Amino acid sequence: MKVLELFNVHKVYNTTHVEVHAVNDVCLEFEEGEFAAIVGPSGSGKTTLLNMIGGLDMPTEGRILVNSTDLSTLKSSAIIDFRMRNIGFVFQSYNLIPVLTAKENIEFIMNLQKWPRKKRDKRTMELLKAVGLEDRVDSRPAQLSGGQQQRVAVARALASKPRFVLADEPTANLDTKSTENLLDIMEKLNREENITFIFSTHDARVVKKARRVITLEDGKVVSDEIRE
Amino acid sequence: MKNYKMAWRNLWRNKRRTVITASSVFFAVFFALVMRSLQLGTYDSMYKNIIESYSGYIQVQDEDFWENKIVDNVFKNSEELREKITADRNVEDVIPRFESFALASSGSRSKGVMVMGIDPEKEKLLSDVEDKLVKYRLTDEAISAIKSEEIPAYLEKNMDLFHGNSYSSDGRLQIELGIKENDEEYLMPLFEKYASVKNGYFSMGDNAALVGDRLARYLGLERGDTIILVGQAYHGHTAAGKYVIKGIVKIPNPDIENKIVYLPVDVCQTLYYADGMLTSMVVHLMDDDDDAINNTLKRLDSNIESPYRILGWKEMNETLVQQLDADNKSGIIMIGILYLVIAFGVFGTVLMMTAERRREFGVLIAIGMQKTKMAGVMVYEMLYIGLLGILAGVAIALPSIIYGYHHPIHFPSKFAKIWEEYGFEPVMAFQWIDKYFLSQSLVVAIIVLVAVIYPVVKIRNLKEVNAIKA
Ligand SMILES: Nc1ncnc2c1ncn2[C@@H]1O[C@H](COP(=O)(O)OP(=O)(O)O)[C@@H](O)[C@H]1O
Repeated sequence: MKVLELFNVHKVYNTTHVEVHAVNDVCLEFEEGEFAAIVGPSGSGKTTLLNMIGGLDMPTEGRILVNSTDLSTLKSSAIIDFRMRNIGFVFQSYNLIPVLTAKENIEFIMNLQKWPRKKRDKRTMELLKAVGLEDRVDSRPAQLSGGQQQRVAVARALASKPRFVLADEPTANLDTKSTENLLDIMEKLNREENITFIFSTHDARVVKKARRVITLEDGKVVSDEIRE
Repeated sequence: MKNYKMAWRNLWRNKRRTVITASSVFFAVFFALVMRSLQLGTYDSMYKNIIESYSGYIQVQDEDFWENKIVDNVFKNSEELREKITADRNVEDVIPRFESFALASSGSRSKGVMVMGIDPEKEKLLSDVEDKLVKYRLTDEAISAIKSEEIPAYLEKNMDLFHGNSYSSDGRLQIELGIKENDEEYLMPLFEKYASVKNGYFSMGDNAALVGDRLARYLGLERGDTIILVGQAYHGHTAAGKYVIKGIVKIPNPDIENKIVYLPVDVCQTLYYADGMLTSMVVHLMDDDDDAINNTLKRLDSNIESPYRILGWKEMNETLVQQLDADNKSGIIMIGILYLVIAFGVFGTVLMMTAERRREFGVLIAIGMQKTKMAGVMVYEMLYIGLLGILAGVAIALPSIIYGYHHPIHFPSKFAKIWEEYGFEPVMAFQWIDKYFLSQSLVVAIIVLVAVIYPVVKIRNLKEVNAIKA
């Protein structure tokens, strides 16, 4: 089942002096349960692509269908709502709400979706266990290490069982051990919950773990290999 | 997590800033309330002084008298008119007056004065001239006699400062000379012994006068001396009379004290060849609340026709009303400036709160939080800060004002002297809790709510891609 389709997607930035073709004619498809890495040097258009997939930004040309829905046809508040129900996000850093505890951060989207308390608690504890932080339930982000924070962010992204999770360089600020740990957790959850993960990186160790590697160069897809 | 709960947590992300902002709101509210109370209270007391010592709240006069205060514009003291006035449900009694001008002389000096014919008994309802009779006078002899006893140093200094002054009550003397409560018991008998003045009151038919203290001093008159009054009487006659001074009076309005001579009303009528005539009837009210006064004024106005005119206290004291109105406006401008400063402070906080959370906003919108909900959290945060400040301001201002209401501020002796020379009573009174409490708190609340428009607009226009990058 296709969760995501990109048809001839372009993104052109018109700066005062030059036109930057950040994403250039990208066509891609993602199936349910994929664990895909988007790689490429800095400036190759990874972030721009992920932002457009997540509905944070709109292509200047081409179409993106998420779950068969074209986000460019929705109002901005409807896009936000769509994201809440279908897409999980993990950013490079400062993902978490500083005034909420680990548990409250994970619960946040379930709260927005008005899940009943019991169901919410069960899911939160399940995820905290999965990311190995069951003993840090009531810690605030400032009391957690960078790796732990990213694990909470992954748990939050998965909390309401979205169609897929987008992660823009989630390990960029982590040491080797935390990076591996986070990737293992992501992969485990990907298998257990059958949720698609699409993450960008330029770290070879991270690329190694991916089951599909899409390489970008100057906004163009130069290779797309599936390994198993 | 509910908006209000998240807002409460956000508030304590930067404790110091929250406390500083709430404090600035607190100070604004506190000062505004205390300043308003003081200002309005002082006006009230000045109005009260002039109303109670001179005009009363309402007067009935001949329709031409106010514009042209000559003895020809008088009216007959008729029972019919009295009854018409006292028939009103808020009127307790009517106090007759005969007011005119004369030239007063005492041998070497003379001065234009206001002659006020009063009913010695009825007048007690309003200005109570008997109670205003001078009780103590700090003559040089009195001061040196008191100094020969053992007295505290501050009293020596203050007596020198106020030498020549006179007082109609123990309280006034104690306040002006700064006599400490502990010293009262042993100092007051000294004043009783050396500085007390024997004064008498008069009755109807007495060929006697009571004279304002300042006027008496100017004319060099004392109790028992004779004052000569010459003026223009009814229908072209010449008024002339000689009266024995029975008492010297202190009036809380220095301007009036400088020109007042009281006579029994019948004696005054004789002086002006106007037996049975009055220049005004002062209406004594049961309820002297602002609304009650206005309503009574309206009723009397429609019930009593020409050739009479009904005057309210504002009309009769127009200069003072205008003066205090102008002062009031400058007070309001001061508070406006205070608010402006506070508004910038509050706005600065809002600005920082919004700027430093830009990325967080971006992340929250990305993961699916609606902008309206986020703006809601911001509004709650500002509401808490505002409420915290306003409630604290009201909570502290309330007891301060209640205390001040019961203990008016009397200027320290040195300032009092200067103040009195300018013709003001050296007292600052507080007004009781009134509408200004609500209006001042409301203004501050509005400032806070206006400040919150900024983040709300900012959030509405936020582009999540850009915010996340920041
Ligand atoms: N808002 C923008 N305005 C103009 N140019 C931009 C903007 N965002 C990205 N770019 C440009 O688009 C290209 C792709 O950037 P990006 O997607 O961030 O690459 P990557 O994530 O692979 O480093 C770069 O050349 C970058 O300078």
